[in-house]
Amino acid sequence: MRRLLADRLVLASALIVVLMSALFALLRVTGRHAGG
Amino acid sequence: MTTGGSVWPRAVQAVRRREPGSSQFRGTVWIVTYLLFILAPLFALLLGSHPPARGFWTEFSVALGYSGLAMMALQFGLTARFRYVTEPWGEDVIYHFHRQISLVAVALVVAHPIILFIARPELLSLLNSFTAPWRARFAALSTYALLALVGTALWRTKLRLRYETWHLLHLVLAVVAVAAGVLHMVGWSFYLADPWKRALWIALTILSLGLLAYVRIFKPLFLLRRPYRIAEVRRERGDTSTLVMQPDGHAGFRFRSGQFGWLTVWGSPFKISAHPFSFSSSAAAMDGRVAMSIRNLGDFTSQIHDVPVGRRVYIDGPYGAFTMGNPADLHVLVAGGVGITPMMSMLRTLADEGDKRPVLLLYGSKTWEEITFREELEALEARLALTVVHVLENPPEGWTGERGFITAAVFKRHLPRAYANHEYFICGPGVMMDAIESVLGDELKVPLSKYHSERYSFV
Repeated sequence: MRRLLADRLVLASALIVVLMSALFALLRVTGRHAGG
Repeated sequence: MTTGGSVWPRAVQAVRRREPGSSQFRGTVWIVTYLLFILAPLFALLLGSHPPARGFWTEFSVALGYSGLAMMALQFGLTARFRYVTEPWGEDVIYHFHRQISLVAVALVVAHPIILFIARPELLSLLNSFTAPWRARFAALSTYALLALVGTALWRTKLRLRYETWHLLHLVLAVVAVAAGVLHMVGWSFYLADPWKRALWIALTILSLGLLAYVRIFKPLFLLRRPYRIAEVRRERGDTSTLVMQPDGHAGFRFRSGQFGWLTVWGSPFKISAHPFSFSSSAAAMDGRVAMSIRNLGDFTSQIHDVPVGRRVYIDGPYGAFTMGNPADLHVLVAGGVGITPMMSMLRTLADEGDKRPVLLLYGSKTWEEITFREELEALEARLALTVVHVLENPPEGWTGERGFITAAVFKRHLPRAYANHEYFICGPGVMMDAIESVLGDELKVPLSKYHSERYSFV
């Protein structure tokens, strides 16, 4: 059962990383960290 | 050998050796720290100065690439056998997480160029490694190494790779994948114009490769100075041999019953592959001696009974979270075949400590003659508040005990009905453990926190 928990943590980690990567991109393009 | 439904006395509460809440807290801290290690270096790139944004999809693909590389680098930390990291989960679950998260890392790393090529098709020319700049060639090398790494891990047996060969290839490909990924990143340097940002990512890479050096160089050097000698080789029932090992020139280590160690018999601790085995001896022994009981299952294990007395061996341990410690009215040990070994350590330790907590052992074996430690278990029943229930796949004629496999019906015949109050320990073949966990969780409604299992199918 701990493996099932581990599988869920893997999926959660994947989702969090993808969402945070999208947030990174949004921060870059919406002007808050657009740079230049 | 079988018992009918019996009335079990309430247990004398044993001394708690481990607070369950602290393990849960450490598990939570573990996963939060893991995600911080992946995401903090990425978001650090937003600090200070940075070049103009290039469009959402380009920036998104780059973030995926950075995250994938960080995830790859962290893989070295997962397999570095740090007890503080592994204890909340158990080593086998950490290795399981290591395997599963590698698939996520591959997806992130591969998604990076795919999204980039869709958003900016002019970059497709970088796929030609003959004409592409070095920073793009490193990207290709990193990606191919990662795909080869995961492919050889998933299909090791189909590719007929010996375990030791595969393990060496795995380490080499991992170093190539991470190093080439960092060279690609530094070569491009789009976000790494600030020296401190470049230093941060290079430092993270050095840290992760340093973890590999710790496991493969420094730890073996430490073990080389703390060898063991084979004091005795005992043949047991069930084609099993017990190696009794004595520390040579040092005091040895203490372990908790149910834990395991990585054993190197043929070769030095620098040898690429050690093998994990549970300790089967009493944890109460004060002379540093440890025993491991190993069943002949082919390959390495088929040579164990030939190990000569006096041979120098090495043990890296102890590891594992498969230990008694939580109070319960009844401890239920469920063993199949060689899964009896950690249970023997638990029972021998209880006997040496005069601990009379009620214990029920459900022990599945193929035949009566193959029951490993059969006679010793009879003797332990007399010394402890222990009941042993043998479940035989092929029982002898006239057998009136349990037959077949350990099922929900077997549990219900031998356990007091307050199933959720008991503490369960399960060890045996993977198929058996899957079935038992399903019985406990789905049929008997035992909470996850009440049953513990440990598996050793690391690859």
